[in-house]
Amino acid sequence: MPVFHRPATLAEACDLLVRRDHAMVYGGGTAVQILAKQGVLFATDLVDISRVPDLSGIEETKDGLRVGPMTPLRAVERGPAVRRLAPLAAQVYGHVANPRVRNTASVGGNIAHGDYRLDPPTALLVLGATVELTGPDGVRRVPVREFFVDFQETAVRPGEIVTAIEIPRQPESAGAGFSKLSSLSANDWPCASAAALAVGTSRAFGRRGPVKLRLGLGAVAPTPVFAEVELADDASADDAAEAARAAAEPLVDPIPDVRGSAEYKTRLAFVAVDEAVRTAWKERSDDGGFLRRRGR
Amino acid sequence: MTVDSSGVAVGERWARADGRAKVRGELRYAADEPVRPCRAVAVHRSTRPHARIAAIEASRAAAMDGVLAVVTGADLYAELGDRIFTGPAFADQPCLAVDKVRYVGEPVAAVIAHTAEAARAAAEEIEVDYDDLPPVHDVDAAIAGGGGYVHDELRPSAVFGDLKHLRGIRDTNVNYAYVLRTGDPEAARGAGEGVRTGDAGGATAEAAHTVRGDFWCPPTHHVPIELPYTAAWPEGDRIEVLSTTQTPSYVRQSLADLLGLPLNRVRVRCAPLGGSFGAKMYDRLEPLAAALAWTRRMPVRIAATREEAFLLTTRHGAAVTGSMSADADGAIVAAEADVRYDTGAYADVGPRITAKSGMIANGPYKIANASVRSRCVYTNKPSAGPFRGFGVPQVTWAHESLVDELARERGEDPAAFRRRNLLREGDVAAMGTAMHSADFATCLDAVTEAIGWDAPLDPGDGRWRRGKGVAVGIKAVLTPTISNATLQLNQDGSATLLISTVDMGQGSDTTMAQIAAEVLCLGEGRVRVVTADTDVTPYDTITAGSRSTYHTGNAVRLAAERMRDKLTGLAAGHLGVPATDVKLTPDGLVSAQTQETVGIADLLHAHFGARGTTLTTEAEFSTSWAPYDKETGRSPQVTEHWFAGAAAVRLAVDTATGRVRVEHLAVAGDVGRAINPALVEQQLTGAAVMGLGHALFDQLVFDEGQIVNGTLLDYQLPSVKDMPDAITPIVVESPHRTGPFGAKGVGETAIIPLAPAVSNALRDALGIRFTRLPLTPERILTALQKGTA
Amino acid sequence: MTATIELIVNGVRHRVPVEDDDLLLDVLRGQAGVTSAREGCGVGACGACTVLADGRSVSSCLARAVRYDGAEITTADGLPDDDPVVDAFVARRAMQCGYCIPGFVLMGHELLAENPDPSDEEIAGHLEGNICRCGTYQEIVAAVRDASRKEHA
Repeated sequence: MPVFHRPATLAEACDLLVRRDHAMVYGGGTAVQILAKQGVLFATDLVDISRVPDLSGIEETKDGLRVGPMTPLRAVERGPAVRRLAPLAAQVYGHVANPRVRNTASVGGNIAHGDYRLDPPTALLVLGATVELTGPDGVRRVPVREFFVDFQETAVRPGEIVTAIEIPRQPESAGAGFSKLSSLSANDWPCASAAALAVGTSRAFGRRGPVKLRLGLGAVAPTPVFAEVELADDASADDAAEAARAAAEPLVDPIPDVRGSAEYKTRLAFVAVDEAVRTAWKERSDDGGFLRRRGR
Repeated sequence: MTVDSSGVAVGERWARADGRAKVRGELRYAADEPVRPCRAVAVHRSTRPHARIAAIEASRAAAMDGVLAVVTGADLYAELGDRIFTGPAFADQPCLAVDKVRYVGEPVAAVIAHTAEAARAAAEEIEVDYDDLPPVHDVDAAIAGGGGYVHDELRPSAVFGDLKHLRGIRDTNVNYAYVLRTGDPEAARGAGEGVRTGDAGGATAEAAHTVRGDFWCPPTHHVPIELPYTAAWPEGDRIEVLSTTQTPSYVRQSLADLLGLPLNRVRVRCAPLGGSFGAKMYDRLEPLAAALAWTRRMPVRIAATREEAFLLTTRHGAAVTGSMSADADGAIVAAEADVRYDTGAYADVGPRITAKSGMIANGPYKIANASVRSRCVYTNKPSAGPFRGFGVPQVTWAHESLVDELARERGEDPAAFRRRNLLREGDVAAMGTAMHSADFATCLDAVTEAIGWDAPLDPGDGRWRRGKGVAVGIKAVLTPTISNATLQLNQDGSATLLISTVDMGQGSDTTMAQIAAEVLCLGEGRVRVVTADTDVTPYDTITAGSRSTYHTGNAVRLAAERMRDKLTGLAAGHLGVPATDVKLTPDGLVSAQTQETVGIADLLHAHFGARGTTLTTEAEFSTSWAPYDKETGRSPQVTEHWFAGAAAVRLAVDTATGRVRVEHLAVAGDVGRAINPALVEQQLTGAAVMGLGHALFDQLVFDEGQIVNGTLLDYQLPSVKDMPDAITPIVVESPHRTGPFGAKGVGETAIIPLAPAVSNALRDALGIRFTRLPLTPERILTALQKGTA
Repeated sequence: MTATIELIVNGVRHRVPVEDDDLLLDVLRGQAGVTSAREGCGVGACGACTVLADGRSVSSCLARAVRYDGAEITTADGLPDDDPVVDAFVARRAMQCGYCIPGFVLMGHELLAENPDPSDEEIAGHLEGNICRCGTYQEIVAAVRDASRKEHA
């Protein structure tokens, strides 16, 4: 039975994580409780960070948003600042499980868990978020695109805690899309998910440069994966979808399970990419989109 | 069946008894009931699918903090002997394994401790040495034999004379077989499609078309949200049990046999059930709880976790190899089915399912030449038992796929083809019994009309393709069975009904109250059904198989009629008129002659000279059958009544992902008479939603006998998001001549044809015939790519 | 480690000793006399254990009681007699076995507090984590819809 620590400061928490052999952070607690229930929790110590001050909350910063690790997913889903500045993140966080889970599951726990099936990493990848980690050696920042190292393994070092996720402002002219496909019941884990962000660039004299189409894929590889392609500003949705598919193809490497074989999940991955990209592409070139996004 | 019907209750949409208490969560279920302090029990379970138990090391566990006892199967066998083996058909299942384990998860030892945590911790410290035996996982491999035999010899229960011939049989995994034969199906079918031969036993091959198929339904699980729970405690020389069970009378008898006690020293109390669907019947946690409580003389409580609940009972997986043939005029001339039910490690009610479903395995059609072989087979997995539909959905999956395919072979509309061939009132079915109050045709017409069968279907273009499908279901009610009812009329005109029927959401508390109220002209809420308690409520075979509305309903009706007769007798004396002159009305007892009226309360007060008194009547209602012939499987009266139902589906398939979207689902059931139409509609809809899950994604996944998806994070259940865009329940009433007010039950009716209706719609949309469930998006997509399933 | 925490359950203060790993569901049922929240799966997937903590729904089967020290817990049996969501469920017959319904009632309350006029799609989105095995979803959605309109009327 793991020892349950409730440190009052961040330093204390990091210290516990370093000094104990198999310590885990207890954030929202949902994932850890499920592991315990299933008899596969091998931690000797649990470090509950809910008493450490200033770890929850969503702050508007110069560049976008700073989200504390103990912020519930539901707060990201519904937060007015998030809806205004990074609506794709609000949308995608809102897809995790169900509202009850989202009330408790924490942003930090969600990303540190390293579960390849989770939705939020897909949005964070395309938005170019950064994960702030605090540990015994100080604070460091890891781009989310470097955060997922291997199957259920992240860049978090022993003793470190996620202390923020920084999400850059989603460009207002960008088009965003998200698609989540399940293969069994409707509210099951995803079989494939994809977030897409189409960001225009500008050139001198107000001319429009190429569009960077970013993809974040979930559930279709041992980790969430990122890809980026460039397309001409006047490319069609079909062009965009095709380019996205080509970019995604080498990265799709699904783990077969009861939810589908590798072949099936691969197919679904491409369908998810296609849907997300088309939505994003349409939104980007949709004149009304600009006004809608402001109002969100 | 002419009934003096007051019209106050039958047919009315009375509010469900305890409705508000259910919404507010104030209604107590079994685990909410306060009982004396009980010790907790945790079970150490087998990790092997098939093995001899060489040794059990439990001393470390027994020495742990808070542990009071560790009990093994050998310990119980030493005290109870062969009585430890229980079951509703075969006495083959011990509550703790004796000598052998037969499935992964089988209880091997029980720990009794002060707390659940202490019990579980100790259960984990028990070590068992196994000598592995060859396991059998596949039903056909189990039949073929040559590998492992799950049971060294067959152990039918001594109670059943019709199973005696199986006793002692060795070297087989087939524990029961039912055969049906009428006419000469092989000859009628002919050597091949359209071949006419005249030399097979004199019969002429009539078939112009024949279709064949190998069908598979995987094991699934009921997953009622309420978990199983049993508490048992010795009470002097008696034992008392509080349990989540649909079958208190059965449990009382089973425990009386187990412990060698007379029936009046075994008390089984129930509570409203939080869903059951067949999962909480016969012998589940009760034998273990009672054996521990009685042999160790301490009160115990077993609360199963969800993971454990998956191991207690499952729904039979079944394989069906079938064929169906039609002549040039579109009449079905032959049908054959070879059905194999995978009953898992213990027979449970598998043998009965095998026969009851086997006899209608060819479907609700006029078929002159039919054969069925239906077998119940042991394998090394958790045992399969009763589940909503009682084995019939599995054979319906086959016959409704075959009949649909046969229609298409002929180039005929599947609904029209069925209509021509459906059994009608008075027709004799293949098993030899005539149809009554089984209006398949009206059900078929109702559902096809509801989804707009004849309207042109937008077949879809590009990514989504649309289709429509229909299926018809038939089931026989369990016969023979027995119901009893005791009715107490209280002096104030309220009534208390004592029955052993258990309300698990189907609304029996409300339905039975309405039947009694109808006869006694009582208003809504004036009749209350007490919770079943074998010390108080009289014998009822089981609350299952949709039998209660008809059987218990009749017992209630009879008891109420006797009460009415008592009242009219008393009123006659009171009013000074002949009894024949007195009529019971909503206003009281009225003399036709003098128009004088006396209310029930006044009448009883005058009669007894006291308040709060009771009048009691009781009645029994039992049914009988003519057992089917062992050679032909036929009987002129194989069942008391039939269930008839149909389902029709309009759906769209996403050809990019294989995902099915049900646009409109219509289900109809012939209930004879709807005592409460709202309850009937809710059962039709509820069964349809469950059936939709089975059709599209529900299945228990096994790996070498181990359940892989036995948690609710993995096992798929329909959520609100899986609901069809529209769902239409339709009540069909073809009154049954001896049902209470013409009524019969409906709990299973809509689940029976559900999966094939969906599959038939996919056939329509995609041109592909699926033969294996569930119809997952992957299966559909793979079939689309290959062009065939 | 044992601690004493305070749970305000339906307005009543309960000071209870709890272990670190005691689940909120077990403490509510075992020490605060709540029976309307129940275990159905132990992994937060069915919703039978739903309670509101400071107005927010939580799977009490996955929540450690120590984390809810001082929280105001609402359970279905603690709602006022004339609660509009309860009334709507009763009027719509939104129950069969009833076991899951208190969880749905609380989710309905949470939704309407956030979104007083939800569309059917929003209702379904909020309820998708609660399972009704009896399949009474149509009535449940209708009840939440009715309750929203009534609160508006």
